[in-house]
Amino acid sequence: MASAASPGDEGGASGGGSDKAEPGTSADNSSTGAFECNICLDTAKDAVVSMCGHLFCWPCLHQWLETRPNRQLCPVCKAGISKDKVIPLYGRGSTNQQDPRDKIPPRPQGQRSEPETNTNFPGFGFADAGFQMSFGIGAFPFGFFASTFTNGNNLNTGRPPAPAPGTPQFQEDQFLNKIFLWVAMLFIFWLLIA
Amino acid sequence: MALLKDPPSGVEIDMNKISSNLSEWIVDVTGAAGTNYEGETFQLQFKFGPRYPFDSPQVLFIGSNIPVHPHVYSNGHICLSILTDDWSPALSVQSVCLSIVSMLSSCKEKKRPPDNAFYVKTCSKNPKKTRWWYHGKF
Ligand SMILES: [Zn+2]
Ligand SMILES: [Zn+2]
Repeated sequence: MASAASPGDEGGASGGGSDKAEPGTSADNSSTGAFECNICLDTAKDAVVSMCGHLFCWPCLHQWLETRPNRQLCPVCKAGISKDKVIPLYGRGSTNQQDPRDKIPPRPQGQRSEPETNTNFPGFGFADAGFQMSFGIGAFPFGFFASTFTNGNNLNTGRPPAPAPGTPQFQEDQFLNKIFLWVAMLFIFWLLIA
Repeated sequence: MALLKDPPSGVEIDMNKISSNLSEWIVDVTGAAGTNYEGETFQLQFKFGPRYPFDSPQVLFIGSNIPVHPHVYSNGHICLSILTDDWSPALSVQSVCLSIVSMLSSCKEKKRPPDNAFYVKTCSKNPKKTRWWYHGKF
């Protein structure tokens, strides 16, 4: 599809995560910058530090890990990272010595369907339509089958009882059943050769 | 907000064009000296969704001057992995701008992507909906 390059082609940006992706330190004029969360840029609360040494609020980091559960990378340096490999930090002033990882972090907003990251090929509209169409036809004969079978045995409860043998209604029913059966067979045959 | 206080050279925020709820920014960037884009000014539009910074902002070139570059489509869409797959919540507006400027700077030949015409006709308005096929390393 679209031709593209990661910024790292020229060594310009990909490796540069560590040197320029530190908003807290690059432009700050107070000493508190060293203890700012690398995600929300506020002073880290329920602070945890990764094995690579990067500081986060646990709620922030947790939400990031949830965002990409199968690709858990340090936001700053892209090192592998996981819940078990971060260390909670307890300052002297902190009264609450509970492991922040044990607290239930602020939940990410429900079950997020991810429309933004959908694989949305521009040309895939046709394929989608085609799939739904063939599915619809595929389900068709089974509907017929279901109706013929339930008519065939008299165990059906929801329907009116099958007419007694010999009556014209019975013959009509038999005839219809046969037609439906043939139509269903034709459909299946058609599906097989299609 | 660090960017407002201390913008790196070549990146400038137009305060008048920041939407009142801060969800949409326009940033002026200038081509770096000594590159194909020296002296040119471009406008980048940032749109921040409710899930920012866990979700990347939508970033595209707008205005009359869209840089002619193999990874920039004529509708302003930018094919840059940090804007989708390689997004990190530690990336700031400043670092995104710098990445884009350095992407421009590394360009050797000013030309549109080979599939520009097709892409511009078929793509979504939101570049983040494009499944980019990134060349190079991930
Ligand atoms: Zn935080
Ligand atoms: Zn790290």
